[in-house]
Amino acid sequence: MRFEKFVKPRKIETALKILKDDPGSVILGGTTFLRLSDKKYSTAIDLADLDLDYIIENEDNIEIGAYTSLRTIEKDPIINKHFGDLLPKAVEHIIGVQFRNNAKIGGAVFGRLGFSEIITALLVLDCKLQFEENGTIPFAEFISNWNIKRDILKKIVIKKNQGKCLYRMLRTSDADFPILSVAVSNFDEIKISVGTRPSIAKLSQEAARMINSDNSKIIEASNLIVKEFTFGDDMRASGKYREKIAPVLVSRALQEVLS
Amino acid sequence: MKVNLDINNRIYETYIDADEALLGVLRKLGYKSVKKGCDTGACGVCSVLIDGKPTLSCQFLAARAEGHKITTVEGLGKDADEIVDAIVSEGADQCGYCGPSLVLTTYAMKKELKNPTIEKIKHYLAGNLCRCSGFEGQLRGIKRYMGVK
Ligand SMILES: Cc1cc2nc3c(=O)[nH]c(=O)nc-3n(C[C@H](O)[C@H](O)[C@H](O)COP(=O)(O)OP(=O)(O)OC[C@H]3O[C@@H](n4cnc5c(N)ncnc54)[C@H](O)[C@@H]3O)c2cc1C
Ligand code: FES
Ligand code: FES
Repeated sequence: MRFEKFVKPRKIETALKILKDDPGSVILGGTTFLRLSDKKYSTAIDLADLDLDYIIENEDNIEIGAYTSLRTIEKDPIINKHFGDLLPKAVEHIIGVQFRNNAKIGGAVFGRLGFSEIITALLVLDCKLQFEENGTIPFAEFISNWNIKRDILKKIVIKKNQGKCLYRMLRTSDADFPILSVAVSNFDEIKISVGTRPSIAKLSQEAARMINSDNSKIIEASNLIVKEFTFGDDMRASGKYREKIAPVLVSRALQEVLS
Repeated sequence: MKVNLDINNRIYETYIDADEALLGVLRKLGYKSVKKGCDTGACGVCSVLIDGKPTLSCQFLAARAEGHKITTVEGLGKDADEIVDAIVSEGADQCGYCGPSLVLTTYAMKKELKNPTIEKIKHYLAGNLCRCSGFEGQLRGIKRYMGVK
């Protein structure tokens, strides 16, 4: 990434105005992913002075500011209290502590990366995104729809629910991308998401319907995952290998949330 | 652009490109302990402390470093010697390229981990790659420094 000008607005309205007025501008998260491209921008907009680094709990929700680091989320007691180790497990193998101290949740979400473990995990929570221009949007809608390209993500709002949720993945090396990632929650109903296929995570419809109608059909529902999702090849694993792994990870996760 | 950087408790007034990473600026200012490895965020040899937290300087913009305390291994003084002694006494260092970042991250780890175990140490240091030593000797020394049996 290259850019000519670095600005650090003190108001989010100013940041949005720069983003909208200048089509060559870019919002900076921790720049961990942005830095990898050769793209040239005119102005880089730093969000560091906008007070978007927080995790707070209110009566119904947990709110995570978009500038909160992945490491903060990994260690936060409020997150742990409400969602167990779902989010810590989804971030704890992303490179190392040095990387996660800098990478932000806003960048992890807005980047909509195919291999994103955080997206796999957030999909099974009751989660909304709040943008400066586009207002509040359900998380799953944002992930599957690329209409929002130039806005500022302010926070992630997650409903506090009673029940279990967990994240499981398979990777061959600690700091490499996973071969497959799975998250399952059991709040009002069971939700299953499958990611790193290697394309972006998605919620299951058919397997979720089956397990919600009959909790004993763990194996049948897990096997449906192979029919419901497409699994591709990359340098880490073949689609065929991912097809074998997916039902195993899903059935283990279902067993745990239903136990 | 002009920035004031606080490096190892010394203030530097210096000129940088708006899109320059902190890594290059530190090396230009003479902090050669900060190494360039992958330059993509994967190896950890460029680690520095920003306000006490280990951070990859190849990914951290120098423009963003203003107003923060930057620490390199040169700034650790005797604390670094203790960690280096623990590693060297195991005959662990080979080329030494990964050494400064490992020392700096170990220093931050000691402050951060309340009840260190070998698993927690390995997890904390997962982002510090070494291409020579095979990690075992370094881990023995670091375990001792952390007070883990
Ligand atoms: C070497 C490497 C290994 C990785 N391994 C993994 C892995 O194993 N698992 C995994 O899940 N992920 C992995 N990642 C992805 C990583 O999680 C993301 O790079 C990181 O979370 C992005 O955060 P950032 O703050 O650095 O975003 P940036 O790189 O700064 O930004 C990413 C995108 O989001 C935009 N953006 C950032 N913040 C906002 C905001 N508030 N509002 C609007 N737009 C915004 C930027 O303009 C940019 O388009 C890896 C990345 C790298 C570089
Ligand atoms: S040079 Fe920064 S992580 Fe490799
Ligand atoms: S001793 Fe050579 S890279 Fe670690």
